[in-house]
Amino acid sequence: MSAMTEVSYSDGAAPSEPLRAPRATNPWVAFVRRRIISVVVILLLLATVTFSLVRLIPGDPGVIIGGTASTRAEQMAIDHRLGVDRPFLTQYWTYWSNLLHGDLGRSFVTNDPVTTILKQNAGASLQVAGLALLLVLAVSIPGGIALGALTRDRRHRHVENWFTGIASVVGAMPELLVATLLAYAFALQLKVFPVGGTGGINFLVLPVLAISLRPIAILLRLVRVETLSALATDYVRTARSKRLPARTLYLRHVLPNVVTAALTIGGLLFADLIAGTVIVETIFARRGLGTTLVNAVLSRDYPVIQGMVLVLGVAVVFANAIVDFLLASLDPRQVSR
Amino acid sequence: MIKSFFRNANGIAGSIGVLLIAAVSIFAPSIWGKKAHTINVVNGDKGPSGAHWLGTDRLGHDIFYQLLVSTRLTMEMALGATGIAILVGIPLGAGAALLPERVRMIALRALDTLIAFPGLLIAIVFAAVLDPGKFSAVLGVGIGLSFSFARVASSLTLAIRDREFISAARVVGVGRTRLMVRHVLPNIADSLAIATTVSIAAAIVTMAGLSFLGLGVQLPSVDWGRMLTTGVQSFYLTPFAALGPGIAIALAALVFGFFGEGLARAANPVLWPGSGGDDDSATATADGPPTVDDPYEPVEDGVLDVRDLTVSFPSGRKRRQQVVRGVSLDLAPGETLGIVGESGSGKSLTALAIAQLVAHPGVVEGRITVNGTELQRVPLKEVDRTLGTSLAVVFQDPMSSLNPAVKIRNQLIEGVRRHRGLSRAEAVLAARRRLGEVNLPTPERQLERYPHELSGGQRQRVLIAMGLMNEPNVLIADEPTTALDVTVQAQIMDLLAGINAEHNTAVVLISHNLGLISQNCDRVLVMYAGRVVEEVAADRLTEAEHPYTRALLGAVPDMAHSREQPLVSIPGQMPDARSTPVGCAYHPRCPLAVPRCAEQRPPLQLNAVGHRVACWVANSDEAPAGAATVGTATSGDGA
Ligand code: SF4
Repeated sequence: MSAMTEVSYSDGAAPSEPLRAPRATNPWVAFVRRRIISVVVILLLLATVTFSLVRLIPGDPGVIIGGTASTRAEQMAIDHRLGVDRPFLTQYWTYWSNLLHGDLGRSFVTNDPVTTILKQNAGASLQVAGLALLLVLAVSIPGGIALGALTRDRRHRHVENWFTGIASVVGAMPELLVATLLAYAFALQLKVFPVGGTGGINFLVLPVLAISLRPIAILLRLVRVETLSALATDYVRTARSKRLPARTLYLRHVLPNVVTAALTIGGLLFADLIAGTVIVETIFARRGLGTTLVNAVLSRDYPVIQGMVLVLGVAVVFANAIVDFLLASLDPRQVSR
Repeated sequence: MIKSFFRNANGIAGSIGVLLIAAVSIFAPSIWGKKAHTINVVNGDKGPSGAHWLGTDRLGHDIFYQLLVSTRLTMEMALGATGIAILVGIPLGAGAALLPERVRMIALRALDTLIAFPGLLIAIVFAAVLDPGKFSAVLGVGIGLSFSFARVASSLTLAIRDREFISAARVVGVGRTRLMVRHVLPNIADSLAIATTVSIAAAIVTMAGLSFLGLGVQLPSVDWGRMLTTGVQSFYLTPFAALGPGIAIALAALVFGFFGEGLARAANPVLWPGSGGDDDSATATADGPPTVDDPYEPVEDGVLDVRDLTVSFPSGRKRRQQVVRGVSLDLAPGETLGIVGESGSGKSLTALAIAQLVAHPGVVEGRITVNGTELQRVPLKEVDRTLGTSLAVVFQDPMSSLNPAVKIRNQLIEGVRRHRGLSRAEAVLAARRRLGEVNLPTPERQLERYPHELSGGQRQRVLIAMGLMNEPNVLIADEPTTALDVTVQAQIMDLLAGINAEHNTAVVLISHNLGLISQNCDRVLVMYAGRVVEEVAADRLTEAEHPYTRALLGAVPDMAHSREQPLVSIPGQMPDARSTPVGCAYHPRCPLAVPRCAEQRPPLQLNAVGHRVACWVANSDEAPAGAATVGTATSGDGA
């Protein structure tokens, strides 16, 4: 063991005293280049997977989609529309050229262009997911820091215990349950909000709450713990030794490090919100990308399925890229990673 | 690990819950299967009653029994999905980690993005391609969860690879297997166990969502998610048909979540404060009120004057344990005072207490006067101003003492801006000058940097410059060189000496290294178990009389070894605050101890030579002879 101590000691020792040579390229340039490459790679993969969906259907898609009652001609027409009757590469090429022209095909069911269906439904989903995201951030970051400040150095242990208890229960409640509970309390019992449907702001409250509560509970806990650990760091002690006002201490020395930690799971939270949107749209009978996707799967409307998966996937990829950039601008160490 | 798992509430609640769920899954179908499947349409859509605790669904099924019976299918599918996640995820992650550097970076980034893909979405895609049903659900949810396992596996693989690299380079042959068995395997087991329970919880929820959407389990099979769908359809008639399965899903997820958290806490207690029994007060011996025993006359016009300083922490119920016990010291302008002692002697805590940085449960008592202002007597604002302008602290670890997210410039100027009301431009100008004073080349450039771009020595210089910003009268340096290379150490000490000479800043240097202190200070305070045991002028250190100081002198090594454990040659250990012996705290280790030492604590007394000692033997007549027999080395200053 003493050998290990020795090793890690000399490893951890300071770099040589002279200044490091200035980097040849701006680290930001390299950072942006790396991120763009990985986003492009992932988007290529995503489009390819979406394209291959119909090819992965076991058996003859025409037979499966058309059903046993359909005629052979109908089945072949389906195969033709899906393009599975042509060679893979030819079809792949067509797919890309259509995609780049903004053509996602037409629905089997309504014969509307998939892009039209997207436009009709994206707004409603974005509203719910976007409002939820704002709500989550607006509540958890200030709230978590305040809770951290309140319970620092093991002060107010009862607050800490109550909070942790409630937050871990809420954090484990799936949107499914939160949504039914909210509907039960506010729509059935108190009758303050409508149970379901699409419409004005009143129709948004319950769905938004239903998908926000869990992320809020999770993020509140994380932010509180991060605040505590930031408050316990040597650099906050240094800042304290300068006798700065509490405002400066929290805003300049605690907040950035807390936001960094919150953002690292920001991408995951966004995924949660998207999945949550799909569920609450069904529970509250709202129109949106989620219900469209689910109905398309149930009616085997492959062009629509492909379109929805592609769009939701792109949303996740871009959300992650944005989180990455935010992280890098907040925490300079990330840039050189 | 196992013990601490069962010591935290989450672990206990989690294990009980998991056992319950397992029992219900195994036995419920054979016991209540009949009850659950009884159809009674006349009695459909009824609310809770004595006969049907959660009411009935449209077909008159008893919801409570149906819940119990469908536990098996729900769990089977969740476990199946987790199994697939493990089987797919681990090879995927390990493989990605073993790719060549450049490809690996891209692969790992892709993995990060895949983790961010909603599992539900992936499962829906599987339902779209295959027929919606049990098989596609288990497969889809499993694949969706596999990326988190891949992530765990990839970072573990990387860790093992790096450790192997180290061990191959440093410990040839023998060490490697032991390293793997001792350090790597336990880590893998912990992380995998935690990831597994967490992912079972996630699988339950995702699977329920999928079934709820109609894309998972298909009738006549029923799982909780499927029950929820039926329930939501008759929500107006009997909300319990939906709330029942909803709560079951949440509870099961909670149970597995708790179980996983319990595992995590047990595996890494440090990260989870408040999880262990730190309240065992059995051995605590509370001190009485601090006894004022040293007739200490304050120095006129001193910049720092500390009287009877005690720092105590709660220990058990309603008891406080003193860690610093009645320390008094003073400091004249421009003086350099060294405080030496082993770790646990209370020397660093003394510094923190003077700077008013002792954190909450700790309580500081005594009188602290900085630059003529007695801190306990003035309002908090005045304390901030006095400390902000007259006193600066340089901490031990330069690597962690600067905020990584804030530019050097802002960290340097915020203090003067606050306390001296300088404009931004003036403050930046001052910062540049200070950086020049601490010999950092190209100060303008350093100002725009972030701490991670500087070496340890450079950061310590920045911290010293930061301390100088307000031109303080007192600079407290707590082990300022311990974390640094030997060569840099000497440079930093020279720098402190230069500042002391140039600005007439009084310096308190705290160290466990008597050699370092004696070379750099005018006066030396020796601390043991929270008290000052001797105070002596640095140039008369060889005349020190306290047996502990003599032992330290004997143990001062040559410069080459000064970093590591200079005190090893004193037999025995310093008592910790809880078990400080009665009488002289040093007596169990002291070769000169007389019976009185174990009964009465020796006061700090001015002795014949003109310095202060707390020792019965040294303060009696035969002291010099006794001291001579202890000193194992005649010259310890290593100069
Ligand atoms: S008082 Fe007694 S035990 Fe303590 S240092 Fe002196 S001789 Fe040793």
